[in-house]
Amino acid sequence: MSKVHHLVGAALACVLATSANAQLLQHKDLSNAIATTIALTAVDACKEQGYNVSVHVVGRNGEVLVGLRHHAAGVNTFENSWKKAYTARTFRIASGKFAENVGQNPVAGQLFLANIVAARGALPIMIGEETIGAVGVSGAPGGDKDEVCAQAGIDKVKDQLR
Amino acid sequence: MIKTTVGIATLASACSVAIGAHAQLVTVKQLSLPIAATIGTTALQTCKAQGYNVSVHVIGNMGEVLVALRGDNTGPHTMENSMRKALTSRGTRLPSGQFAENVSKTPNAGALRLGNMIPARGALPIKAGEDVVGAVGVSGAPGGDKDEACAQAGIDKVADQLK
Repeated sequence: MSKVHHLVGAALACVLATSANAQLLQHKDLSNAIATTIALTAVDACKEQGYNVSVHVVGRNGEVLVGLRHHAAGVNTFENSWKKAYTARTFRIASGKFAENVGQNPVAGQLFLANIVAARGALPIMIGEETIGAVGVSGAPGGDKDEVCAQAGIDKVKDQLR
Repeated sequence: MIKTTVGIATLASACSVAIGAHAQLVTVKQLSLPIAATIGTTALQTCKAQGYNVSVHVIGNMGEVLVALRGDNTGPHTMENSMRKALTSRGTRLPSGQFAENVSKTPNAGALRLGNMIPARGALPIKAGEDVVGAVGVSGAPGGDKDEACAQAGIDKVADQLK
């Protein structure tokens, strides 16, 4: 019992600082299998509606996990889907929501960060409240339609996102 | 003006293959996303089944990325490396390992100075008959020969669609 008190004391003393008992961080990341399923599902969902799109899935650090270019998608879509995904991951919100937020302020600082784009079509991938990545879609005639396909990709693996 | 017209007409008839009035559009075969995705995922899974975590790139005829896959627990460089191997293979129309062998005797080879070229084994050209339509590059296995085997498995999977 006194040992427990010691531990509690130590934890309190060092709760914010580094200590000999500091632990490594643990978190859950998207696997290649889940990321690939999200991306392929998003491509197929748009294809079913007659839209040829490119898709990117990025991980916790914005790193590309999967990139897919549809053979009939526009040239810019590959880059755009990546930037949308990166934007959604960075701000932990739908890229369309970000676009809405900065719509009132064309000189918002965030718009000057590299690879940030104010365009709808990407959604953060969450475990509960935690953002672990994002999926971005580009190529449908309208960001709202891109976003629907991104959502379809996430929905497909929702059982595995925990 | 007349002189110019006659000159052009002469040139055109001399080079009718190149710029004649009857010149046709070039018809090329292009990898589709479903085929490219199958190549990419098959290569990744083949290596995984052997215990190697790899990243894979499949690129198209103009070097554009069609499929990029980052494997679980791969080194951070494997994405860039698999892309550059694939570009090297497409550019030279050779296995990137063959290119590496070729330039090993000529370290000043101009090809080594081109953007993204890398003398490293692990990528293969994707061919429809004799035409190169793209390339697949793999990085992450302990040895380019092992990367290359997974690239080959990806191509083999769609062999009957590559025509």
